[in-house]
Amino acid sequence: MAARSIWNGTLTFGTVAIPVKLFSATESRGLAFREVRASDGARIQHKRIGVESGEELAFKDLEKAYDTGTGQIVLTKEELSAADGPRPKVIEIEHFVEGEEIDPVFYDKPYHLGARDGGAHAYRVLLAALEQSGRVGIGRFVLRSREQLVALRPLHGALGLQTMRFHDELVPADEMELTTPKKDPSAREVRMAGKLVAMLADEWDPDEHRDTYREAVMEMIEAKRRGETPQLPEREDEGDDDLLAALEASLAGDGEGAGRAEKGSGSKAKAKSKSKAKGKG
Amino acid sequence: MPRPMWVGSLSFGLVNVPVVLFSATRDRDVHFHQVHKDTGERIEVHRVAAGTDEEVAWDELARGWETDDGDLVVLTEDDFQAAQPEKTRTVDIDLFVDLEEIDPIFFQQPYWVLPRGEGEGPARAYRLLRDVMEKAGQVAVGRIVMRAKEQLVALRVQEGLLSLTTMRFADEIRDPQDTGAVPSLEDDPPTEQEVADAVALVEEMTADWEPESYEDHHRERLLALIAEKQERGEVTIPEPEPEPEPQRASKDLLAALEESLQRARDRKRPGSRAGSPKGPVGTPGRGADDGGSASDEAGAKTGAGKGAKARSGTS
Repeated sequence: MAARSIWNGTLTFGTVAIPVKLFSATESRGLAFREVRASDGARIQHKRIGVESGEELAFKDLEKAYDTGTGQIVLTKEELSAADGPRPKVIEIEHFVEGEEIDPVFYDKPYHLGARDGGAHAYRVLLAALEQSGRVGIGRFVLRSREQLVALRPLHGALGLQTMRFHDELVPADEMELTTPKKDPSAREVRMAGKLVAMLADEWDPDEHRDTYREAVMEMIEAKRRGETPQLPEREDEGDDDLLAALEASLAGDGEGAGRAEKGSGSKAKAKSKSKAKGKG
Repeated sequence: MPRPMWVGSLSFGLVNVPVVLFSATRDRDVHFHQVHKDTGERIEVHRVAAGTDEEVAWDELARGWETDDGDLVVLTEDDFQAAQPEKTRTVDIDLFVDLEEIDPIFFQQPYWVLPRGEGEGPARAYRLLRDVMEKAGQVAVGRIVMRAKEQLVALRVQEGLLSLTTMRFADEIRDPQDTGAVPSLEDDPPTEQEVADAVALVEEMTADWEPESYEDHHRERLLALIAEKQERGEVTIPEPEPEPEPQRASKDLLAALEESLQRARDRKRPGSRAGSPKGPVGTPGRGADDGGSASDEAGAKTGAGKGAKARSGTS
């Protein structure tokens, strides 16, 4: 069965116009919880209350207001739609860039594009051209009353569209304060840590990774339901005083723990060897 | 410094690096208050127990899980941590891979990673991990639990710091073919001529990736319309332009590709600005008339002297 599209419009590059529809490329696999009161599990309801009157206000009576510092300017939904610009139903590809020039930090939410009436052929032509050239289209369009910068690229035999962060939405590294150690790591530590990285080097296979915490949460919920109270151990101070010893232990022996572990069970194996190492110390 | 978003350790073999995470993104949106449309009275959202007027404070909130037979299990933050304490406090590094192997569709939220506290131990362990990762030129893949959900993470060195980006699991990404709207390449395949023309156009329209050259036009338009409302008491709402007509026949598509190619070449002739964003959609102006002026300015700012550079990849 065909999925429901979340947006319909036209993709353009140059004067080529392709009718398209947009689909979300992700689905949430998180567990769905309700917001409740801790003491008795009462469900929580959100009420919009007037600050001065204390009265509850209906959603249909609300508008948005911008605070100018000295007062406020109320804008209707229609007035706010003026920010959509003159072409709200067009994804305009402004130009193309080499895909590998874009740092992944810019990529935000992914979508899939499908073709709409009369667009199938041009869709295929563009897809073939992007696959052949390795280029990524950069453009803009309005989604849910918000103009987005987007990247268009081939993905799994289809055109993928991903929203992009603006450069000023990224926090530069120089705003972070990094504590510098008094003593640099020794040559021996660097060498051993390098070996450890090499041991863990592998190929990326996304299908090998699954959410395993979810199962633990479900087990915890079952235990709670039976009336058990899950115990939270004290937080240990995990700082290693002896880096070298920890590196040595990682490289030595406990191969299954620190070595090329079977992914997924890797963390369990490591936890085991960790406790062993602590016992030794 | 802002507040950390997560406190825990990176675990690499048997080495533990106590760290804190800070958000690497910030909200630059124009924000509004919700008010009553007639009186302008501001509203606040109150959380109350359903069906009552009893307000519930932040620290009295918990998560409820509804079982199949309708029971409700109340869960606190401690319960979630106790479900698997080592997971909620540790990012276990499972493997190292090449960054290019990971498709950007997996990447989600980026964070900066810093050593926890001022101590020498964490600072040195952090420095060691950063240095070896920089040398290996690889990305560490591990897992983190944040807000009661496990996510994959990619840890790498950027600008001398460790950064961590949460990643989606493969089963959280849909197959585009499941949309039922992706045209198959078998029936009515593109002709060689069509693809060759499209590739030529794509190459002609290729520029360098310069993230600083993209301004958030939505923000600019919002601020402009707020100013207009303040000065004139009303906002001009532009008539949306009709959607462009698609080229349904192959000969029309070829003609459009060739016309676009010609235009793109004309634009790139000496004296013109190569590669700067163009066109009415790419401009902050709200009406079709004033579109272009702001982008011309932006183009002039970033476009100076880069005409030659913009073509370097393809010439």
